[in-house]
Amino acid sequence: MASTKRFRAALAVLLLAGRLTACGGGDDAGGDVTLRFSWWGNADRAALMQQSIDLFQAANPTITVTPSFQEFEAYWQKMATETAGGNAPDVLQMDFAYLREYADRNVLLDLKKTDVRVDDLIPAFQGVGEVDGALYGVPTGGNTWCMFYNPALLAAAGVEEPAAGITWDQYHALVDTVSKKGAGRTYGGSNYRSVIYSFESYLLQRGGTLYTEDGALGFTEQQLIDYWTVGKQYVDDGRFIPSEKVAQIEPASPITKDLIATEFRWDNFFARYAAETEAELKIGPVPVTAAGGPTGQYLKPAMLLSASARTDHPDEAAKLISFLINDPQVGRIFGSNRGIPATNAQREAAVLEGPALAIAEYEKAIAPLLQKAPPAPPKGAGTVEAAFLRIADEISYGRSSVPDAVDTFFTEAEDTLAG
Amino acid sequence: MTTIPARVRYGDATAGLLFLTPWLLGMLLLTIGPMLASLYLSFTDYDLFDTPEWVGLDNYRRMFDDPRYLQSVTVTTAYVALAVPLKLAAALGVALLLNRPRLGQGLYRSAFYAPSLIGASVSLSLVWKSIFSDDAVVDRGLAAIGLDTGGWVGRPEFSLPMLVLLAAWQFGGPMVIFLAGLKQIPGELYEAAAVDGAGPWRRFRAVTLPMLSPVLFFNLLLEIIGAFQVFTSAFVIATGAAGGGGPAGSTLLYTVYLYGRGFVDFRMGYASAMAWMLVLGVGLVTALLFRTSRMWVHYAGDRA
Repeated sequence: MASTKRFRAALAVLLLAGRLTACGGGDDAGGDVTLRFSWWGNADRAALMQQSIDLFQAANPTITVTPSFQEFEAYWQKMATETAGGNAPDVLQMDFAYLREYADRNVLLDLKKTDVRVDDLIPAFQGVGEVDGALYGVPTGGNTWCMFYNPALLAAAGVEEPAAGITWDQYHALVDTVSKKGAGRTYGGSNYRSVIYSFESYLLQRGGTLYTEDGALGFTEQQLIDYWTVGKQYVDDGRFIPSEKVAQIEPASPITKDLIATEFRWDNFFARYAAETEAELKIGPVPVTAAGGPTGQYLKPAMLLSASARTDHPDEAAKLISFLINDPQVGRIFGSNRGIPATNAQREAAVLEGPALAIAEYEKAIAPLLQKAPPAPPKGAGTVEAAFLRIADEISYGRSSVPDAVDTFFTEAEDTLAG
Repeated sequence: MTTIPARVRYGDATAGLLFLTPWLLGMLLLTIGPMLASLYLSFTDYDLFDTPEWVGLDNYRRMFDDPRYLQSVTVTTAYVALAVPLKLAAALGVALLLNRPRLGQGLYRSAFYAPSLIGASVSLSLVWKSIFSDDAVVDRGLAAIGLDTGGWVGRPEFSLPMLVLLAAWQFGGPMVIFLAGLKQIPGELYEAAAVDGAGPWRRFRAVTLPMLSPVLFFNLLLEIIGAFQVFTSAFVIATGAAGGGGPAGSTLLYTVYLYGRGFVDFRMGYASAMAWMLVLGVGLVTALLFRTSRMWVHYAGDRA
């Protein structure tokens, strides 16, 4: 009997402990507002973010910001589950590819209903982040599609560095020469045709778009067949690096391992690659169909700031967003960490050097060539992007014929975009 | 008399239940609850954001028109069919070697068991990936004996065998169980067999295997169930082109695809339905094994 008594006592303690922890946490202390703020990034960005938050809190003593961050992949998994649980953070970092996904599901706040300050955004960013007339995200910085090249590898093959106005034919000849000189060890380039953004720039150069205004695919099966057929041909004739070599070094890029001389990417990757390789990389032009033709480049928001539709403090959330995109001190703190800044004030304040300076100068040089950014990609764009890469890869591996692959892609993409 | 007073028996049962409470609560809240929720979700269209919408058997029907789903079933079946026999053979072989008393036996046992302890870790998968790359240990070793395979990681025909080898290498778990089983076999049986003139192979077939069959059955069951659920190695090693399963879908294991559908494509209803199909599939295989076990599993004291 004694043991039962002791057991009951222990149980009571357990239950009590459960109660206590259940009601801990939460309540704001008298009138002060707490904002939860989530972003993706690494420890470097977290340090910069904390400095900016400290500044914001000093300027707004009644607002406390509780930050949290993850790596990109983990961030979106957490965001999906938190949002599903009705527990989204008040302010969150948003990716252009997911903007519509979240906006269409009514989980983002229309910032036009707050007094968020967006008047100082550079012209290319005015209106970006709008979906059907509502403003769901404000860009913090941007990047453009471009070519990276390794001058040393080009020089070793006796090829000149690509200059503005280089045509696709000239580019493919360049790749061929470098690959032949590389003798199976180094190559002129990788199969850029398996990346959807390359295809997008191909379409933009021809006056088309990846997605239509109402979120369907903006191109025909034949266009994709033509595009992928050429890619396959260049994989087979050894112009592009074989897929199995790329797979082994994933997630690193072959250009950082001195395996290829050119690669197409968003220009913000330049800073990352510079940190990952000893080679002196440079940023070059996107080839055109004919001299003087459009480059298909536009300024894409690198990331946006959004607020949750369910936040209890929309005005404070807008205040934080305005501060993070407009305040010159914040611009100086971040430099190019969030892309080249999106507002004039922060562009002037940011002190750029090294790779960041190279990116900024590149963006400045091509500014006159930029086209208007396409509308935010439709819901499911992230899945379509992944399917494009995966299915194109099956062609490279010889697992699928081009027409079959295109057929598969259209089936999957249309299924995804339909909902 | 051995009858126990009812009052005491009742008290024991209560205490037993009370002691089990943490486990029972965990089981109810963390296992049964979510399982029932996923069963419900498998009949809905659920994207994690909007409220689930009832679609009946739609998710289940769609699976059979989904080439990637069928691909994942093929890959997983191949994986189970290759990994389980290989792993059990290795486990039994090493257990037989370790069964004889010799110096440093404990050390050997621990050494062979060690890989199983670190098996599911991410870092190990990364190491595995690097030793199977171009010009790494495996490539060079094979080239030295005239087999020029190149790196295994990026080649669709070699990527699954690479995962199978990783699984087989972690044979420590079943090995320990085999060892315990081997210790249970009475020495007289071997002596009698030897007197009858049976050689080592005959003794193994006629004595060891039948006497070990219950343990073999147990291991087979556990390993098959485990193999159907393998995830980490494929997820880490063969990230492939976006969404996992690469290169060219050759390592698209069931769980990898399930994860992608749920957490990358936000098709949580479909992913739930996939999970339940896996439960059904594994249940079916288990039932089949139990059925056939009567023919080859011998329990001590059986008439057979």
